[in-house]
Amino acid sequence: MARYFFDSGDRDVVLKDEVGIECDGIASARHQAIEGLIDLTREFLEDIDGQELFIEIRDEHGEKLVRLSLSLHAQPSGQ
Amino acid sequence: MREGDGPTHSFVVLEGLVGTTKLTGEGKRQITSFFVPGDIPDLHGMHLSVLDCTFSSLTRTSLGFMRHDTLRAICDRHASIATIFWRSTLIDAAIYREWVTNVGRRDAYTRMAHILCELIVRLHSMGVIEDHVANLPITRAVLADALGLSTVHVNRVLQELRRNGLIFTEGTRFHAVDWAGLVRAGDFDATYLHQRTANTF
Repeated sequence: MARYFFDSGDRDVVLKDEVGIECDGIASARHQAIEGLIDLTREFLEDIDGQELFIEIRDEHGEKLVRLSLSLHAQPSGQ
Repeated sequence: MREGDGPTHSFVVLEGLVGTTKLTGEGKRQITSFFVPGDIPDLHGMHLSVLDCTFSSLTRTSLGFMRHDTLRAICDRHASIATIFWRSTLIDAAIYREWVTNVGRRDAYTRMAHILCELIVRLHSMGVIEDHVANLPITRAVLADALGLSTVHVNRVLQELRRNGLIFTEGTRFHAVDWAGLVRAGDFDATYLHQRTANTF
């Protein structure tokens, strides 16, 4: 088991995870991250073209491991 | 005490925190309510022969067990005690209604603030805590399962509550440093807890 940290946010506001979660490997940490990204999207997705929401996984040494992001493309049809 | 059991006893929580839990077909857990010292979580077992949920200890707990036939005999002899038990199950139902609303319709930040307010008021009214400091040795995964959120999002929301100066956490201790602010953030109105003693918070 190792502790992973999940920073989350959009391009403007990033919330640094100071507590982290114990996971048994990076695959399990990625599973936690995607579940977190689903919640983040449900809460914060707005009708803003180009809005990006992300979760970035860090390890205990502060090394960034994986970044999962989603972005919204909102344009008038036919362009 | 597991779903499907036919219990012969009810129990009272003496110490710690108990939760009712349900599992979905695919194995996801939902905690449907918390019980604090003084609560009798399974009074319905006196009248419903099969348990429709599982009771789990969420922290180290100490419980007292009471035989159903003895409880029934007491209720037959003392109408006032039967009334108190009935009232207790009605309040449990009111808490379930509030939780459905909380999990179904409030955003994660409000949801978390609400559940913390509820726990603090209930623990305070039982005389377990003073002020607005509660020792809650429950895991983030338990909070996630009670709120219908991912653990990652639970951490994020707790961080936001801390950043906004509403709570201070140290290990397993939760301190509501701005109680009025937490109540506002949690859209919390204690009416559904139907407490007789005026809340002096």
